[in-house]
Amino acid sequence: MLKVLFAVITGVVGAALLHLVIILSLPYFSEKDAYTRVLAEGDRHVFHRLPDALDRAGLVQNDPFMETSVCAYDISQGPIRVYAGGDVPFWSMAIYDAASNEVFSINDRTAAAGILDVVLATPVQLTVLRKSLPEPITQSILVEMQQADGYVILRTMVPQPSFSTNASTFLSEAVCAPFDWRQRQQF
Amino acid sequence: MFRVPFLVAIALAIAFGGGIWSTLWALEATTGFGAIRLGAWEAFPEAQTAKADPYAKSHRAAAGALLYGSAEGLTFTAVTDETGAPLRTGCSYKIAGHTPPARLWTLYTLQSGKTNRPQDSKLPVALNSRSILRHADGSFEIQVSTDAKPRNWLAVPERGRFRMRLTLLDTPAAGSSGLIDLSMPVIENIGCGHA
Repeated sequence: MLKVLFAVITGVVGAALLHLVIILSLPYFSEKDAYTRVLAEGDRHVFHRLPDALDRAGLVQNDPFMETSVCAYDISQGPIRVYAGGDVPFWSMAIYDAASNEVFSINDRTAAAGILDVVLATPVQLTVLRKSLPEPITQSILVEMQQADGYVILRTMVPQPSFSTNASTFLSEAVCAPFDWRQRQQF
Repeated sequence: MFRVPFLVAIALAIAFGGGIWSTLWALEATTGFGAIRLGAWEAFPEAQTAKADPYAKSHRAAAGALLYGSAEGLTFTAVTDETGAPLRTGCSYKIAGHTPPARLWTLYTLQSGKTNRPQDSKLPVALNSRSILRHADGSFEIQVSTDAKPRNWLAVPERGRFRMRLTLLDTPAAGSSGLIDLSMPVIENIGCGHA
């Protein structure tokens, strides 16, 4: 009898260990995490608008008054610039790394003149950029990224149906793409 | 002669069965620690950050939802009324009071995998801060019911339980250091069945 009790105790300790191992390691092997789903939306460096019903990538726009676009980025080859502007009552943007940790977020009131203009770069690229800031990005917010890949979420609000045209224009004109950042360098 | 294999089998069955079950339960039941609970409303202001606890990180890796950044907003979810009883579509509820300071907010009943836009369903299945009627002091009163109600009415699905989500956009509550007095509207049951 004592042996059975001992086996049960061993089992419970094993269960607790397994529980901890799964919880701690799940973020590293999950194939359902947000970054994998954003990658499944399509090409990198393009904003993909999220549909009202669950798409094949497993993403959906939940809030009935919001419109959302996502863009996966990879800055290992060069920085990317996120740019959007337009007449919408509210917009917000958040940058996440590949582990879905928030790196940076901004909304239309915290941005200068209500225009979204952010450059994502690695620390090395930033040093090069700061030496001679290219003309188009002199007004941009420079965000230093510790990881090379991740995703950007851009949201805007449609409080009444009449705002939806502006929201669509805002999201479809939003840019999330590499730019000519070493134009003055000689090779 | 089969005693030792039998004991090993018991230990292994409990270890794997219990370990997997408890993990699935934990991922299903909670979004992690560090919740702000205000009455029936629950929010996780740090769930999207690197500071989130291992349970929150696991949950978000398995759920794969696009969370709100701290400058974007804060999402409150309610599954019960003020007394702790689950929200049921057979009952009517009254949401009354103020939201924490926020530029805009939206309120809707959550349905998995699908957006319920009010302009598509012809019923007020979602409300926002611009579309509701308020008292002179800025507070509001919303009736949540399957039946049509005067003034602010939030229509809920026909049957079963439901969850409500209140998203505050551009709110200091998202980065709350406890300095802001957070008060959420109270969810009160005002009767069950068709009155």
